[in-house]
Amino acid sequence: MSTFVLMRILESAPQRYDMGVRLLTLGRVQRAYDRLASYIHPGQRVLDIGCGTGALALRAAQRGASVKAIDVNPQMLEIAVRRARDTGLAERIELVEMTVAELDAERSESYDVAMSGLCLSELGDDELAYTLKQLVRILRPGGLLLVADEVRPQSLVTRVLHSLVRIPLAILTFVICQQTTRPIAGLRDKLTHAGLSIVSANSSRLGSFVELVARKPDKTTP
Amino acid sequence: MSYLHYAWINILQTLFRVLPFPCRTGLIKIGFPGRDSPVLLTCNFRLTVERVTRAIQGIDAYLLVANSRGINVWCAATGGLLTNHDVIAVLKTSGIEDLVDHRQLILPQLAATGIEGEVVHRKTGWTVVWGPVRASAIPAFLKAGSQAAERMRSIDFPWPQRLEMAVAWAFPISLLALLLFLFWPQGVPAVVTLVWALSALIFLSFPLYHERLRTTGGRIALPLLLWLLFMAALLGVTIYVGSLSWPLAIRWSAISLIVAVVLTVDLMGSTPVYKGGFQEDRLLHIALDGELCTGVGLCEQVCPRDVLEVDYRQRVTTVAKADDCVQCGACIVQCPCDALHFRSTTGAVVPPDTVRRFKVNLLGRRLVASARAA
Repeated sequence: MSTFVLMRILESAPQRYDMGVRLLTLGRVQRAYDRLASYIHPGQRVLDIGCGTGALALRAAQRGASVKAIDVNPQMLEIAVRRARDTGLAERIELVEMTVAELDAERSESYDVAMSGLCLSELGDDELAYTLKQLVRILRPGGLLLVADEVRPQSLVTRVLHSLVRIPLAILTFVICQQTTRPIAGLRDKLTHAGLSIVSANSSRLGSFVELVARKPDKTTP
Repeated sequence: MSYLHYAWINILQTLFRVLPFPCRTGLIKIGFPGRDSPVLLTCNFRLTVERVTRAIQGIDAYLLVANSRGINVWCAATGGLLTNHDVIAVLKTSGIEDLVDHRQLILPQLAATGIEGEVVHRKTGWTVVWGPVRASAIPAFLKAGSQAAERMRSIDFPWPQRLEMAVAWAFPISLLALLLFLFWPQGVPAVVTLVWALSALIFLSFPLYHERLRTTGGRIALPLLLWLLFMAALLGVTIYVGSLSWPLAIRWSAISLIVAVVLTVDLMGSTPVYKGGFQEDRLLHIALDGELCTGVGLCEQVCPRDVLEVDYRQRVTTVAKADDCVQCGACIVQCPCDALHFRSTTGAVVPPDTVRRFKVNLLGRRLVASARAA
């Protein structure tokens, strides 16, 4: 979905972010979040990194999990706090302003599920490697990592097609809010390299958006 | 070769100065740094990284490049795009903690509007030292034992930078002027020349009139004055040559008025010595609560306009040069006693916590009001 780059404009006005994302992606992100959330079971302990206005965190809490959700943007968090309160889920969601670089403070093997919606693509290379390492550490054996994010299409043809649509939108976004997004290259390899095994992967037609479920191996498997 | 590369980056990025140019974040080694070498941090605007690297050549040091979304330190920090989180992230993910024995981080002074030394220290154990405003002063700063002399702490707008801004404005606008090719191709060279000439005139003569920009009248008068100047010259020349005609005069009066308005519309925001004309913060002034002040002096260290004066013996601070304030808020963000805040002309108070948490967005608004009302 080439339209992701336009999200930067929405982020500069958090109160309109959710509606904007829905329009930009024609509800696709929401459906992806629904599918990913279906992996979550009542009573599980879940970590949401880059929770934004709480789209994934609220879904997880609705399914009966207890969620810790982190983000660096206080304005987005303020909206997430309000939504958690309005839906009566405030008890189950802990919202914290912190960066992925502070994940080293979390206990090892203390989460059943870690998830990230449109956040990994915001990280620099060092940060992404660090985050994956920390996520693998804090997931219990057999725990899941759920990811929905913008990625770089794998084949040359789709990459070119994708760029054709994306570049004009990127320029428009640049002009309006002086920012852009950076699709992740080689996400699947990075996950496997970090020691996770891919359970399922679901790509958009051009391969620029991916829903991934990865699993931390059980202790017994070599 | 490296000189050519440096020149190329400087030219390219000056032409497109108004756009962000992100580069790789993480750690850069300068020279052969060891376990005691200084650790400096900058933004990931490509041009800045090149200039800082060049400025500290010959010194063994580590340079951390934090994610500022490709925007310069001053704008990113003030706009909430270079935050505590970005500094913490690069400290902890770049591997620097394994490379040095000390925990002292030198931050650019202009990042003080967005990064809280106290928070970085609490969360990472690194102690923040405020470096000089300009990268070129870093060697002298390090030589003095990480102490910034007063002249390294204030910002001005000397002619090389004014020229840079003139080019930064003239280039993208002349690109837009190329659209004229579609319906008036023969006019393009003249319009482009006008854009460059007016832009150069505006920025190079800045010291002559900038005081007047403080009033709305002054900001409106500037483009009108430029327009009148141009029209007077045009009429003079065409009458002398005998080629004056109504269509010519009308066409050029419209074009020159548009160019003058476009070039001056955010002139204040293109300078480091004024707040952007669209930003509501420019209507605020800093206020000091003497009861709370204990004379720590961080405000004096981070103020780029030398507005505050601290008497370390009496432990009191005075707002000595209130007129020079650019409302950047750095002093408010850094004050450990919460003794400083913004106050509007109507007496409304913007407390320190708000200045720290909510940054000015592109429309110049702190999103507080909208976030609370929603």
